[in-house]
Amino acid sequence: MVYLVTAYAFAIAVLGGYLVWSLLRLRELTRKR
Amino acid sequence: MNSSRYELGALAAVGLMLVAAAFIFLFAPTDALQGPVQRIFYLHVSSAIAAYGCFAVVLLGGVVYLWKDNLAADRLARSAALVGVVFTTVTLVMGMLWAKPIWGTFWTWDARLTSTLVLWIIYAGYLMVRRLAEPGRQAARFAAVVGIFGFIDVPVVHFSVTWWRTQHPGPVVINDALPAQMLIAFLITMACTLFLAAVMIAIRYRIELLTEQAAERAMPAPIVAPTEVGGA
Repeated sequence: MVYLVTAYAFAIAVLGGYLVWSLLRLRELTRKR
Repeated sequence: MNSSRYELGALAAVGLMLVAAAFIFLFAPTDALQGPVQRIFYLHVSSAIAAYGCFAVVLLGGVVYLWKDNLAADRLARSAALVGVVFTTVTLVMGMLWAKPIWGTFWTWDARLTSTLVLWIIYAGYLMVRRLAEPGRQAARFAAVVGIFGFIDVPVVHFSVTWWRTQHPGPVVINDALPAQMLIAFLITMACTLFLAAVMIAIRYRIELLTEQAAERAMPAPIVAPTEVGGA
């Protein structure tokens, strides 16, 4: 069970983290424009 | 297109991933042999397929760039490579966490695992070339070639389990080895993951475009010699 939880926690952190970081970067660039 | 459209797309992708999570954890039955850890399968395989798709876009973008000298194609290839590396990372780590309780080890140098690691290294190298090389046509041409030849590893990864004897299991989806409920959960997870990958590429493409435009604006205007009026 611990491996299942760790695997999905990792996936959420990487995919979610990347998505949020991208949106923040996009918002920053759009504001600067 | 303004940034709120992209945020809406991202929100839709998150919503779909939650639907996929419901299918993985509530709809799909627990595997009789492996127990709950088998549920790693759904996102592990879907991430691998999303990574294949991203690298196919890199291939296509590279070919179009070399053929038509199209900067948008190069930008698309660059965006897809980054998203592909993110999904390959998820595939590798989830696979390792699945392997530990089933095989007793996180890693073994079998053909599937090794070729997937090589795939990650190829496209991480592609991104490094883009980051370190002087931006311009030369870097874009070189990266396009790396992206095209790098794709050779994708069929190697995919068919490694049939070409060689591996510890990694062979294909279960196309061999009809999944019960109906597991297959439905897998197909829904795959569709949602592909949508997420497409949204990520679209956002990254926009970031690349805006970054290029900002760099162009920051460049000093070229000094032009005043033209002689009524010259000799």
